[in-house]
Amino acid sequence: MIITITVNGNKCQHEAPADVSLLHFLRDYLHLTGTKEGCGVGECGACSVLLDGKLVNSCLILAAQADGREVVTIEGIHAPDGGPNDLQQAFIDYGAVQCGFCTPGMILAGEALLRSNPRPTRMEIREGIAGNLCRCTGYQQIVDAIQATAEMRREKNLRG
Amino acid sequence: MADRQFIGKPARRVDALEKVLGTARFVADYSLPDMLVARCYRSTLPHARINSIDLTGVEKIAGVKAAITCDDFVEHGRFGFPIVDMYMLAYQRARYVGDPIVAVAAENEDALEAALAAIKIDLEPLPGVFDPRKALLPEAPLVGEKPRDAEGYPHGNLLIDYIVRQGEPDALFDDCAVRLESEYTTMHQEHAYLETEGALAVPWKNRSGVTVYACCQSPFLARGNLVRTLGLAEEDVRIIQPYVGGAFGGKDDTMYLTIGQAACLALKTGRPVKMVFSREESMIASYKRDAMIMNYQIGADADGTLKTCRFHGIVDSGAYAAITPFTAWRSTIHAMGPYRYTACHVDTDVVYTNNGYAGAFRGFGNTEVCYAVELAVDEIAARLNMDPIDLRLKNCLRPGDTTAHGQKLGDDVAIAECLEQVRQISDWDRKRQEYPPGDPVQILPGEIRKGIGVAAVFHGMSLGAEGKDSAVSTLCINDDNSLTLTSGLTDYGNGSRTVFTLIAAETLGINPDRIHMLRPDTATGRDSGPTVASRATVLGGNATRVTAMRMDTLLLTAAADLFGCQITNVLRDGENYVGPNEEPAGFEEVVAHARQMGLVLSTEGRWNAPENHWSFESGSGKPYFAYHFGAQVAEVQVDTGTGKVEVTGLWAAHNTGTVIFPQGALGQLYGGITQGLGYALMERVDFDQGFIQTTNFDEYLIPTALDVPDITGTFVEKPFTDGPFGAKNIAEPGLVPAAPAIINAIYHATGRRIKNLPANLERVLIGKDLRKEGSNIACKLGLRQV
Repeated sequence: MIITITVNGNKCQHEAPADVSLLHFLRDYLHLTGTKEGCGVGECGACSVLLDGKLVNSCLILAAQADGREVVTIEGIHAPDGGPNDLQQAFIDYGAVQCGFCTPGMILAGEALLRSNPRPTRMEIREGIAGNLCRCTGYQQIVDAIQATAEMRREKNLRG
Repeated sequence: MADRQFIGKPARRVDALEKVLGTARFVADYSLPDMLVARCYRSTLPHARINSIDLTGVEKIAGVKAAITCDDFVEHGRFGFPIVDMYMLAYQRARYVGDPIVAVAAENEDALEAALAAIKIDLEPLPGVFDPRKALLPEAPLVGEKPRDAEGYPHGNLLIDYIVRQGEPDALFDDCAVRLESEYTTMHQEHAYLETEGALAVPWKNRSGVTVYACCQSPFLARGNLVRTLGLAEEDVRIIQPYVGGAFGGKDDTMYLTIGQAACLALKTGRPVKMVFSREESMIASYKRDAMIMNYQIGADADGTLKTCRFHGIVDSGAYAAITPFTAWRSTIHAMGPYRYTACHVDTDVVYTNNGYAGAFRGFGNTEVCYAVELAVDEIAARLNMDPIDLRLKNCLRPGDTTAHGQKLGDDVAIAECLEQVRQISDWDRKRQEYPPGDPVQILPGEIRKGIGVAAVFHGMSLGAEGKDSAVSTLCINDDNSLTLTSGLTDYGNGSRTVFTLIAAETLGINPDRIHMLRPDTATGRDSGPTVASRATVLGGNATRVTAMRMDTLLLTAAADLFGCQITNVLRDGENYVGPNEEPAGFEEVVAHARQMGLVLSTEGRWNAPENHWSFESGSGKPYFAYHFGAQVAEVQVDTGTGKVEVTGLWAAHNTGTVIFPQGALGQLYGGITQGLGYALMERVDFDQGFIQTTNFDEYLIPTALDVPDITGTFVEKPFTDGPFGAKNIAEPGLVPAAPAIINAIYHATGRRIKNLPANLERVLIGKDLRKEGSNIACKLGLRQV
């Protein structure tokens, strides 16, 4: 079937089998390999993307279900100049990255959280990323990075 | 301490940018035109004779390009280190559920699926060994290849045994006021790196050689195995490491097989071949942390002085030796913990079973024995009504002490400092007073109880007497005045590329941004041994320091020539070189002058670890050139109505020597502790009659962000003479004491000492298992899942 999805603001159309997951549609058909596969059963969150602004595991969603909708992947998260945005920069600055395999999904989880809750407590941050497994960091520096970004965004908004 | 520009200062990971942008490519992200996909047919039985393999149906399927067996390799693909007992594909027998037998390459997934379904293998079930305690019984079926009465061995299933001998422990027990006898067991643990195993093999023109992109830990060892099993020359094999999505010890042997199979298929078909595991295949096929049964007898005086220790351990190596002989040796060396005894005997038996297979996992044998000995020592403190930290301080190794192995320690020993610091930062004394010690008889069901526990660790640095221990780094200055740095050691997330960059920058007095630290590639790096044993910072760091010092000498020579002065009269100011007339010359100017002088701006530095020696016969010697020391405190809250344990606080003090990359060192510490928390409370790979019961993250639970509290880490930076800028290591020792600290905290809260890991709900609630875990039917193999 022909699947049409707006990915990172670009309308993408591709012929694909009806049973292909959104994850494999992104990786194998659109060659957007920033979205990772860690378990294939919706447990690890490495394949997290935003579907109409909502955080989902793309391995659990059929590409056909995303037909006509908007998807944001890690390739769609960056500063206007293509460099890291504030959250990505905080991940770098606070040491939230080790092997980097969970990082794309973790950043999308962080973005989704900060969009719905601009003033999260540390516990709310932990809840917000609880669906994303990281085996390297122990999560602490990831929580630090998201918390620092929340504060920076709040200050920026106050300054207006 | 000299003023330092980069060492110990805030720095950023050199590969963080591409990782946050999602542009870092892992092996699964690679794609080439004409690329085939590959997968293995794996044994569905824990132990079976392979009577026949019929591939006639397979080759007829459209899109199938090759199917290989062990016969496609030299000597059936036999390899292994230190014991040669493994095959690139199973030979004659399958020894565990998941043992690969046939590897297939096809144009696409559909053809691959059809091919795997069409393979006809006659597997004749053989009796297996599933209980390591029964592996050495006279009637136990043989799992390994040694005859039942192999020379020097009482049983063919005894892979190897080790001893430590100090004095005569038995004679001392009678005089001890406390005599503890206890058994502890640990389970297999899954590495659970988020990136599964994968390799992409690309044949050279006319199939004269092969390049393999693979997420392995030790590319030079992988090359050696290809040379051996494919009959290629060393120069005909190139292993390139993409980004590696975590390893923790788990990307060695399994990856050697994957690399070998993919390379063989690529050479056979003349096309690129990619083999990437599903999570199920990864969990079934890969080796685990070994399960261990540990028996202790420890005697102490009434004042808490430890006198005598006797240990017997059984290590379940599973179907193959892999690296378990070395793991078990490390268990043997560390079994008595970081304490002084009058006498100590350690005996460890490593046995074959059909429970998957075991190999390296962060902590490498010390994780298991540290859990057990730290529970035992804690129990002695409890029986004597002594504070657990006081008892440890009374007995812990101090500078100049001699260990149970007969090794005289240097002045770098810092376990007492670690214990004192962790006592302070955890507010130990107040909390021990405040939380009443638990007593199972008096606890009201449903009561929420708090407890706090401690554990100490020592961890031998690098390989020790396991073998040759050296590393090589190279450095060159490129035409654009950037520098290229290489090491044969891998950064699979541990941060070593950043550590090496900072060491080179500090040594040369130049900005780290000038330096490009390459990922390992056997064509550009130099063999530096395996990336294991937390050895990167000290071994690779020292090699980097040596190569950078050589480069520094070249540039100083050039600067002196430029200024017309002696080298000793050249000073540095940032990147500038300053002559006697205070005339500065920038880095570029000095480099340009060096080139004019005809100096070759390319250096190589090797560092050999200080000598170790170990007598396997007498059980004594100098097993490691030095040790890392540490102590951790855990605070828990236990729901006595459900058995649920919440870890509410974790504090750690580790003797890292000089910290080179603080953010990275803390990340290693937090990550290690979190893996230890999983080991303590939830992680368990269960084998039922050889069938693995946990094949994905829905069954095998690892800690999420909600399972771990904020951790407070601190470093005892007593400089270590043999380390680069005084650095020691951190990767493994951060994990090792976490589990016993948590279990000892549960004891403080409930009065129940959990002697079998993990401390799941029923063990915490009622002190025993309610039922045997797992099913009696074949596991959800999931071998063919994508």
